[in-house]
Amino acid sequence: MVGAMEIYKLLPADACKECGYTSCMALAVALRNRGKRLDEFPALLNPKYADRFKKLKELLAPLEKASETGMIIHPEKCFGCGNCVVACPVNVAAEPTRCGIGLGPQGEKVILAVEDGVVKCMNVKECKRFGPNKVLCNACIVTCPSKAIEFV
Amino acid sequence: MKTGGFSQIKNLCRKGHGHFLSAFTERTAPKADGQEISLDQAIDRAGEILRKAERPLLYGWSNSSLEAQRVGIELAKKLEATIDDTSSFCQGRIMERILTGRLPTCTLDDVRNFADTSIFWGSDPSNSHPRLLSRFAYYPRGEKRQKSYEEERTCIVVDVRKSATTKLCSNYFKVLPGGDADLIASVIAVLEGKIPKFGDKKLMIELGAILRKTEFGVLFPGLGILSSLTDKMDLLESLIAKLNELSAFKVIPTVEHFNTRGFNKLLLEDAGCINRAFFQGGKAIHGPQMSVSIASKKCDAALVIGSDPLSSLPFGTARSLAKVPVIAIDPHRSLTTDAAKVVIPSAIHGLEAGGSAVRMDGVKIDFDPILTASTLSDVQILGMIKEAI
Amino acid sequence: MESTVTIATFRDIFQNEAEKKSRYSEEYRGLSAQIILDKQDMANLGVKDGQNVLVKNEVGRIVVTAKTSEDDPHPGLAFMVKSPWSNHLIEDDICEMSSPEFKKTSVQVSPSGEDITQISELYLRMKA
Repeated sequence: MVGAMEIYKLLPADACKECGYTSCMALAVALRNRGKRLDEFPALLNPKYADRFKKLKELLAPLEKASETGMIIHPEKCFGCGNCVVACPVNVAAEPTRCGIGLGPQGEKVILAVEDGVVKCMNVKECKRFGPNKVLCNACIVTCPSKAIEFV
Repeated sequence: MKTGGFSQIKNLCRKGHGHFLSAFTERTAPKADGQEISLDQAIDRAGEILRKAERPLLYGWSNSSLEAQRVGIELAKKLEATIDDTSSFCQGRIMERILTGRLPTCTLDDVRNFADTSIFWGSDPSNSHPRLLSRFAYYPRGEKRQKSYEEERTCIVVDVRKSATTKLCSNYFKVLPGGDADLIASVIAVLEGKIPKFGDKKLMIELGAILRKTEFGVLFPGLGILSSLTDKMDLLESLIAKLNELSAFKVIPTVEHFNTRGFNKLLLEDAGCINRAFFQGGKAIHGPQMSVSIASKKCDAALVIGSDPLSSLPFGTARSLAKVPVIAIDPHRSLTTDAAKVVIPSAIHGLEAGGSAVRMDGVKIDFDPILTASTLSDVQILGMIKEAI
Repeated sequence: MESTVTIATFRDIFQNEAEKKSRYSEEYRGLSAQIILDKQDMANLGVKDGQNVLVKNEVGRIVVTAKTSEDDPHPGLAFMVKSPWSNHLIEDDICEMSSPEFKKTSVQVSPSGEDITQISELYLRMKA
């Protein structure tokens, strides 16, 4: 997952403060945590930064893809093994006689399901990492053989 | 129509999904002597070749239903042919011990309900049997394993490399190619309270501790250990016997195709042996000469059903098969169908053809088709060939 | 420059998926015709990741892509996914009790400027 340092290296590093942050590093952190988006900063649209801007956009693209909870799925890496579907505590609670015992879900209340050979996420707001009582659940991460799921 | 009219395909892993999609690509058409012909003509030509052959070989079988396999065995008897299946070089070796009871076994449902230790030895199910861990061996909850992988299940992987499965199990024991026999000896030593002669002593003692704590263990041996042990399979029996002194310890063969176990079960019941047999005067003779490796060099015609030996077997065997007239019964184009004298298109079991099969753990599964077939199923084709000869 | 390594074969789900689509595709060839070599072995051979190498023994010869292993060091040991390419190098002689050595084949590896062997070439050699 992209780090603040990588983002910082592509920023002008002149602390012009036009973005409202005291340093480019502070902006890098904000971009990394998705508190801010690249296109909110007209200073970066300056043609002399065109090359950097292009690279920044590429670097930050995975973050854009991530859901609100920060879950990103890389379907091209996914084996479709269903480990995450069976391990996810929300899945198991929603379908104890299916996901609970290793079967694929039948209903629509689950977060993870395998479709067309790879995993898809849905209802991500139900994920335990989201919301006021969030916990650092990592069931879908540690059970994945190919790092196809990660959190921003 | 790329997906047969289905808009969404649920719960199939990447491998299963690929298998499903293969129903719509590179399908075979009836052919003989390089020409496209009608199915009836292809069957007749096949019958002619087999009838004239003095030493026919019937190979494949693991991708056919039980019903088709039965006809195959009858065909072998009628032709006085050699019959061999695809597990000769892999799970066949352990299959006999399991089917005859020399190695204790259980069902996959037992694994899900009771197993607290699963050992993948020379096996990488994440790549070969992707749903094994999520359906049975590690992640699901079971009757006695409600807390599952988080608290109540342990996975052990023994392999020559860090496979995808090693990333999931915190107990990875590295073995050198051919070093499995030594490793087994070390484990037995540790279980007997002795100092292991081979391997890292600390790691061996760790492994011993996990095994001692086990209430219900299952070993899933892969090609890695089976090819390594070759003539030392008795060592594996000793290990399992030793483990069973401590607790229940079972073995399940992770077969490559959906009905490998089915064929071996049928052949064992019919002919008293697994994998391969030569039928003469209704009696079955068995031995290594009947394996495709040797039989391919001695046969003068071959029927290959649901398998692509030119791709999946060693070069020497492939070359021998490429030299004799081959009748290939297959849903897809393959190197074997390219080389075959006669190609007979067949329906894909589970998708287009129904029937029954025996799962790797011995459980009989009946299946119905979900797609309409435009080709005949194996059992129908074999029935027609049997008539044609 | 040439070195001798032992090959162990393995299964890969992506290569298997490509096989189900077509054995004759570039994708299948790309995922199959690879040899995963130990980092130091590659350095000793003067081979870079992605470069083609000739892999041969008494059974056959193939040109495949060399890939750097991400595993712990395993000098003298190389990995190839089970495919018609890896099968091309396997001994066929079997004695009473043993099986073809799918897991312990010995080969000589050297850098090569040739293109990766096509499946059609492997097929022709079977028919020859």
